[in-house]
Amino acid sequence: MSKLTLAIPSKGRLMEQTTDMFARAGLIVRKVGHARGYRGEIDGLPDVDVAYVSSSEIAEALKAGSVHLGITGEDLIRENISDADTRIGFLHKLGFGFADVVVAVPACWIDVATVADLEDIAMPFRRTHGRWPRVATKYMNLTRRFFASKGYGDYRIIESAGATEGAPAAGTAELIVDITTTGETLRANGLRILDDGVILKSQANLFASNVAAWTPELRSVCDRIVETLAKSLPASERR
Amino acid sequence: MATETTRRIAALEARARMLMSVFTEAGYDAVAPAIIQPADVYLDVIGESLRARTYVFTDPDGAELCLRPDLTVPTCRLHLARHADPTTPARYCYNGGAFRFQPQGADAAHPREFRQAGIERFGDVERERAEAEVIAIVIKAIEKAGLKDWSLRLGDLGLFSSMLDVAGLTPRWKKRLDDAFLKPLAFRESLKTFVTNAEAARLHVPEALLSSLTRADQAASEATVAAYLDENAIELIGTRTLAGITEHLIGIAESREEKPLAKSSADLIERYVNVSGPARTAGIKIAELVNGASNGSGAALETYDRRVALLANAGIDLDRVTFAAEFGRTMAYYTGLVFEVRSSALGPRSPIATGGRYDALMRSAGAAVDVPAVGAAIHTERLLAAIEGASP
Repeated sequence: MSKLTLAIPSKGRLMEQTTDMFARAGLIVRKVGHARGYRGEIDGLPDVDVAYVSSSEIAEALKAGSVHLGITGEDLIRENISDADTRIGFLHKLGFGFADVVVAVPACWIDVATVADLEDIAMPFRRTHGRWPRVATKYMNLTRRFFASKGYGDYRIIESAGATEGAPAAGTAELIVDITTTGETLRANGLRILDDGVILKSQANLFASNVAAWTPELRSVCDRIVETLAKSLPASERR
Repeated sequence: MATETTRRIAALEARARMLMSVFTEAGYDAVAPAIIQPADVYLDVIGESLRARTYVFTDPDGAELCLRPDLTVPTCRLHLARHADPTTPARYCYNGGAFRFQPQGADAAHPREFRQAGIERFGDVERERAEAEVIAIVIKAIEKAGLKDWSLRLGDLGLFSSMLDVAGLTPRWKKRLDDAFLKPLAFRESLKTFVTNAEAARLHVPEALLSSLTRADQAASEATVAAYLDENAIELIGTRTLAGITEHLIGIAESREEKPLAKSSADLIERYVNVSGPARTAGIKIAELVNGASNGSGAALETYDRRVALLANAGIDLDRVTFAAEFGRTMAYYTGLVFEVRSSALGPRSPIATGGRYDALMRSAGAAVDVPAVGAAIHTERLLAAIEGASP
């Protein structure tokens, strides 16, 4: 029979935490071939192929259905897949990789506390600077959807590849939408989260692709993985 | 368009030629602006919501470009390239492709590639006359192309401002309501905040700071704000200036002193927003609102009545014309009159033509001043579908 493909993060904290989580559940994930390879397997689960992929590519692979299961952040799923609720199955929250996607403005904007205040300053800002306030972010879709839900439209998105929190001080954007865990980096960069500025409270999840090629056999392999993992995870996290 | 047969293309082009002949005979200069346009103008004027409907892309040099979602902005840019003085009167007509992403999936009435045949006219100071003429020419063109069964729907974004004068509002309330009107989702909520004057409450700044600010001495107020930032170890970063932040705080401080928006004014505004119906009846309803208000001035009503009279003079059958105060609130860059021509075959979701006044657009496209501008575009695919009588 064909194997179930499970995509897990290929580097960094997310990879370590994923490997640890499997280990706690008694599932030993190991790489196949040389140590820098991108394929792996799980002891005792011969029907599972592990693919080491970067977190954002895991979202793409789930969206396309080229993998059955994947572990990545909810932020990346929501950002990259507009119909995530139908295309993707949210199998289990994993209790790590916490990150809030937030709207942050310079702390010196003491006249701005909410998105409604942003709307108030947009027009005067345009009169002074000749353009709408710019929002630096790599979350273009989450940003657009969030502001649209608040009825705010007077801004320009500046796509940011990295070091987004430095954009306001550098003068390349007026405010940002980015992820934060403790808020420390934001504070260090002179930024403050808006009172109603939390767009998404994200963490790592085990996701299933509803558009992948599933067979009854693969379903039962998937169920076994979820059951085994669930034992080592808080029951409350189960969806 | 990819799946079109040559026969279909020929039929569409034949209709487009009929439309263009009406335009050129009326003295409009035929132009063919570029299909690839800088994304800036569109994103600035229409905002980020446009990104969701437009094919925006980055070229190898890193420039942000788009496939034109309409021909109005390209025609403005063409006009600016031709005339050093943007207020130079000019009339243009065009027939060409436009491109829009259809989030619900493309279908025959909502294709992602479609043809627009339209007119734009710039620099006319007799506004209502220019508007009535544009509407009359569009209707004439549509009839010549073979559609007899049309109806015309009007709205007027400028009339809302006039009604605010009638309601007797201070300039500040007027400005805020004008802005709020264009955001229908938040409008009712805004009205509520205005009536209770609740906006200062949500800030974190101490009351003492707010009450020490004064417009009379802007420099001192800026120093006060700077001292507050210092005390709290808040660094002034970013492009917004101390002056800008102080100015806004003063505005908020003043709004606490100011009486909240009167309930009667909010009611009048809400009753106006709900006006909708045949053009003549709507005029009577608006007259009742104006005459019932304490500050009853006739300016708003005069504009409305003059426009209706001009339309009748131009030979438009008023029985086919309706007005809705709400209409046009979400339509991108319009500033005054808005209109759409509907057919019974395609219904309200798929207007055959849309247009209106957009006096601020030329400035966004690079002009130093506002330029009176009014125009309209006919959706040629829909026109043909409506003429053929079946929903496409």
